[in-house]
This record gives sequence, C-alpha cells and structure tokens, in this order.
Amino acid sequence: MNQLKYESWKVAWAFFATCMVLLTLQIVYGFIMGFAHMGLDGLHEWIPFNTARASHTNLLVVWLLGGFMGSAYYIIPDEAQREIWSVKLAWVQWGSLVVVAVTALIGFHFNWWEGRKFLEIPRPLDYLVVVNVLAFLLNIGMTILKGKRYTTTALTLLAGLLAAALLYLPGMITFDSQVLDSYFRWWVVHLWVEGVWELVMGAILSYLLIKLSGVDREIIEKWLYIIVGLTFLSGILGTGHHYYWIGTPRYWLMVGGVFSALEPLAFLGMALYTVAMARRGGRRHDNRVALLWSVGCGIMSFVGAGFLGFAHTLPQVNVYTHGTLVTAMHGHLAFWGAYAMLNFAMIGYALPEMTGRKAYEHWANEWAFWVSNIGMVAMTGAFAVAGITQVYLERRVGMDFLEVQDAVSVHFLGLVLAASLFTIGIGLFIWVFIQYGTPLKMVVASPSASSTGNPE
Amino acid sequence: MLSKSQARLFFLIATVGFSGVFLWLTIDTMSQVGARSHVDQMNESVVRGKEIWERNNCMGCHTLLGEGAYYAPELTKVVDRRGKEWMRVFLKDPQAMYPGQRKMVQYDFTDAEIEDVIAFFEWIGRIDTNGFPREPDMAPPTAPVQVSAASSGDASPAVFGTICVACHSFRGKGGNVGPALDGVGDRYKADTLRTWLSDPQAVKPGTAMPQLNLSDDQLDELTRFLMASHATSGS
Repeated sequence: MNQLKYESWKVAWAFFATCMVLLTLQIVYGFIMGFAHMGLDGLHEWIPFNTARASHTNLLVVWLLGGFMGSAYYIIPDEAQREIWSVKLAWVQWGSLVVVAVTALIGFHFNWWEGRKFLEIPRPLDYLVVVNVLAFLLNIGMTILKGKRYTTTALTLLAGLLAAALLYLPGMITFDSQVLDSYFRWWVVHLWVEGVWELVMGAILSYLLIKLSGVDREIIEKWLYIIVGLTFLSGILGTGHHYYWIGTPRYWLMVGGVFSALEPLAFLGMALYTVAMARRGGRRHDNRVALLWSVGCGIMSFVGAGFLGFAHTLPQVNVYTHGTLVTAMHGHLAFWGAYAMLNFAMIGYALPEMTGRKAYEHWANEWAFWVSNIGMVAMTGAFAVAGITQVYLERRVGMDFLEVQDAVSVHFLGLVLAASLFTIGIGLFIWVFIQYGTPLKMVVASPSASSTGNPE
Repeated sequence: MLSKSQARLFFLIATVGFSGVFLWLTIDTMSQVGARSHVDQMNESVVRGKEIWERNNCMGCHTLLGEGAYYAPELTKVVDRRGKEWMRVFLKDPQAMYPGQRKMVQYDFTDAEIEDVIAFFEWIGRIDTNGFPREPDMAPPTAPVQVSAASSGDASPAVFGTICVACHSFRGKGGNVGPALDGVGDRYKADTLRTWLSDPQAVKPGTAMPQLNLSDDQLDELTRFLMASHATSGS
C-alpha cells in the first residue's frame, strides 16, 4: 500500500492530530485543578478554577467530537466506497471548528462564557457550531446518498451524529428559571453521552471489529442493533437521574432510579460484544494494538460508565453523593473508557492505513495502552477515596465544606501522581502518532470519484 | 436465534417507544415545575441574579441544586446557612473572609448586584427539591455556629451571630480564623474597637479582618456587646 485511498482521509488525519493537541491542553488544565485542590493555586489570578474547569471539560467535548468527525471522514467514504462528497467543504469544516474551539478557549480566560456546565461556549459561538455541524452532516450524508451503499454501520454512525446535532439545540434555549435551564441542559449532556454518542460508539466499534476480527458483517451489525436498542431503552428515561433534585416531580426518583439501573446493561452488552467478536474472529489482523484499544474501550466503558455510574445513581445514594467528588470519580473513568479509548482505537486503526507505515509494531503502543489505563484507574481510585470521605464528613457528619476539603487534600496528591502516570501513557501514544508521520499522497489521476480501480 | 431484522425492530421499538414516554413525562413535568419552584416569586431581581450567576460561571467552582464543580460549597440552601448579612459582607471581598484559604475570584460586585445574587439564591432555596440536600444525619447534636446569648443577660446582635462567629470563636463556639473574642472588652477601649470594626485597615494595614460595611447602629450595638465581654465573666 503506497497511496491514499480517499482524499478525505487527510481531513480525518487533521482531525486526529487536532485531538492530540486538544487532549494535551485538557491534561494541562486538569493538573492546574489538581494542584489547586491541594492548595497550590498560584495561577489563581490568571487561570482561576472555573476557567480551568470550563477549559478542561470543553476541550474534552471538542476533542471527542473532533475524533468522531475524523472517524466519520475515515469510515463513511470507506463504507460508501467513494470519495467524500466535497473534500473542500471538509477542510473548511475542520478549519472553522478549530477556530471556534480556540476562540472559545481564549474567551474562557476573559470571563466570556455561559456558566452552564459542559455548555460554557458563549451563545454567538453556538451558532457557528451549528453551521459547522450542518456542513459536516451535509457532507457525510451526501456521501452515503451518492455511494448508494447503505450499511448499518454507516447509517448508525450518521444517525448518531445527526441526533447529536439536533440535541444540541435544546441547550441553546434561554430560560429565566434555573429549573427549566437545568432540565433542558441535560437533554444535551445526558442524551449525548448516555444516548446518541453510544450510537456513534457502537458504529465505530462495529466498523473496527469488522475490519480487525474478520467476523461476518451481518453478525456484528445484528448485535449493533441490540446494543443501541438497549442503550435507548435504558438511557432515554435514565435521564431521570438528573431530575431527582432540581425541582421536578417526585416520580423522577422512581423512573430515573429504575432506568439508570438498566443503563449498565447497554455497556455490559458493549463489553461482551467486543470481547466475543475479538475472540471469535478467524482473521488475525496485524494491527493488534487497535484491537486492544477496541476491546479495552468495551470493557472500561462498562466499568467507568456502567458500573461506577450505577454506584451512585440510585436516589437513596445520590441524595448524599450528588454534587460531590464522587461524580468526578465516575466522570473520569466513564469518559475515558467509553469515548477517549474509542477515539484511540479508531486512531490506532486508521493511522497505518493513512500513512502506510506499520508503527503499530512499535513497543510504545502497548505501553501507551497499559500505562494510561493504569494511571486512569488510579486517578479514579483517588477521586473515589476523596469523594467518599467528603460524603461522610460533609453530607452526613455536617462538617464545614472547607474543613472537609482540607481533610481530603492529601488524596489530590495521589490524584496528581496517578495523573502523571496517565500523562506518560498519553505521551507515548502521541509519540507513536508522530512516528507515523503525515498521510500518504493521493495518486493524482483520480478522474472522478467513481469506482475505478477500487481494490476489493 | 434473533435475526438481523428482528434486532432492528427491537432497536426501533425501544427508541421510539421510550422517546414517547420521555416526551409525555416532560410535558407533565412542565405542568408541575411552576408550582414546585414558586415561579410567581421569580421576580426581576432573581432573573438578574441568575444572569450574574451564569455570566461569571459560578458553576465552574460551586454546585447549585447539586450541579456544577466541586471546588467550592454547594449553594442551594446558602441563604438559610449563612444569612443575608454574611453573604453581603462575603461577596464584597471573598478572600477577606477566609484569609490564606481557598480563593474565590474577586468580582467587585455592586451592592445592587449582590442583592440580585442573594435574591436568586433565596428563590433557589425555596424550590421543592425532593429533600436535597439532606440534613446531615450523623451530625453532633449541638448547632455548630449559632451563638446563643442566653447565658449572659445581654442578647448578642444579629450581626454577631451571622458574621463574626464565622471566623471568631466565642464561648467555645465559632470559627478559628481570627482570635477568640472572649474577654475582648478587657483588651480594647470602646472607641478603638468601634474604629476597628468600621475600618480595620485604618487601624492595622494589611490585616485579614474584612471591611464589614456595617451601619452606625450596628457598630454601636456590636461595640456595646463586645465591650461587655470580660474574661472573668466568661467562665
């Protein structure tokens, strides 16, 4: 292989490279917060905690979404077996997303934001995001339409991204009431991460498993339906666990409790599915490390999102743990396991295909996987100990907030140490990314985007 | 074994069915939240308070209704917990209240903005939250901060119980940021104490004692109360 299959893969590469930069920045802001929790807040005048926090979470959201977009620019042409509808539009879309993200990030340092958790991007930029995402959806939608090859994997991916775009809109409605504000903010945040993003996750994992395990597409896609079906069965009404305490009726305690308890099932399905398909595969793809990240994603998403989510989602527990570091404990492993590792799997799979280099044989690949995972599990442990202590001292014994924070600050030393380990793992991953170099050249004579010479 | 088309049917029914139920519950919820959150009491000041809350991303450190970040205290019941007097002083200069401890950004709020923020918190505090945040069930039996003046004849001024004891202890109760106030009447003259309370920086530049912006009446009352505290009378 010495030429690029699709021009849009270069765009995908640009998205993936952007992900690595944004992730690095995300980690930097994470350290700023970790040190601040230990009392080392020397940056307070320039980067107060709320700036670091908004930067940390929004960088996460942007790099994950950027990774999904890069994955779509990779997968959709491959599934439709044709070039992306407009390569130029794809580049414009990438560039404008980067501009919006950088503008938002800088704005956070100058008190330009909306103080609404996870949706801090100021309203004018929201409109740009909408235009940007419409351009993206148009591009991949037209590609599928023109390709006339409607695979379940491609359609699920499109449906997930389309639904994610639609669900962004309720977050842009202005409410005077904090209760309604919160109610519809969760339509975005919850229905993204415990709903339509899982559609994206299921689709990308399916694509990777089809490529890496050699299991028949029909079998993989059948289970894809079951898993995303379970996701919506539990996840839609599972939104109720955000409606326990915000001024909404009492029946949400029951609805949210019951359906949240079912949410781990979808993630368990995802875990069993990846493990079973990976074991079943007749073909041994050379890129073992991409399969490692895929299976790891399935398993860690169950542990982080499914199991640890369940650990504090029942109302009788949540009334004490809601709004404490216990949430941060669940949040870190959930996002890492389900969505960060998913992007790493996709990047790990796509890079050798794009660059023609087999850097997946490099020793650093497996070390990146294990070191980052051990680091993240240790971080989760540090948050757990700090969070449970906080719940007891503050919520049950009634100690003052700051006294409790003093008492748990030692666990943030543990957190920072674990985060250092995690950072080494990420550093190795990025190092391998750089080893791969830039994508191959397209062979010039590609008369139209027709199917001439498709290697099949 | 399930076929692919049956699996697709399961997916479609689960998605459409539960989306329908969710929308129905949303409509019902919308019909109830007005009463549960006392929307009739949500005046312009409350709405302005919410704008200030959002404009400064307060949720980036605090939680409200349990939502936000975990760097600073949960504020749903903050008016009940601290009282408006305390909040007015605190919001003027947050770091003065907790010298050397975790910092809050100095926002330089105007008095009107502070009243809006407090009105917003007051409105939030009245929302029916199904029992969140729950009262600590393992708390020691005595109230931690409020000072009762029952033991001495003179009642402590309201401002003493809500503001001073946040940092100073008195008769064994209160904060430990500043020195204990027992016997303070032996250590100062009345007019020195009154000047100190009205403008700490003028007496001791660089002191951690915050500018409390008390009224003349409050200053008189507080000075009288503190001057009556003598070491011998304490125990």
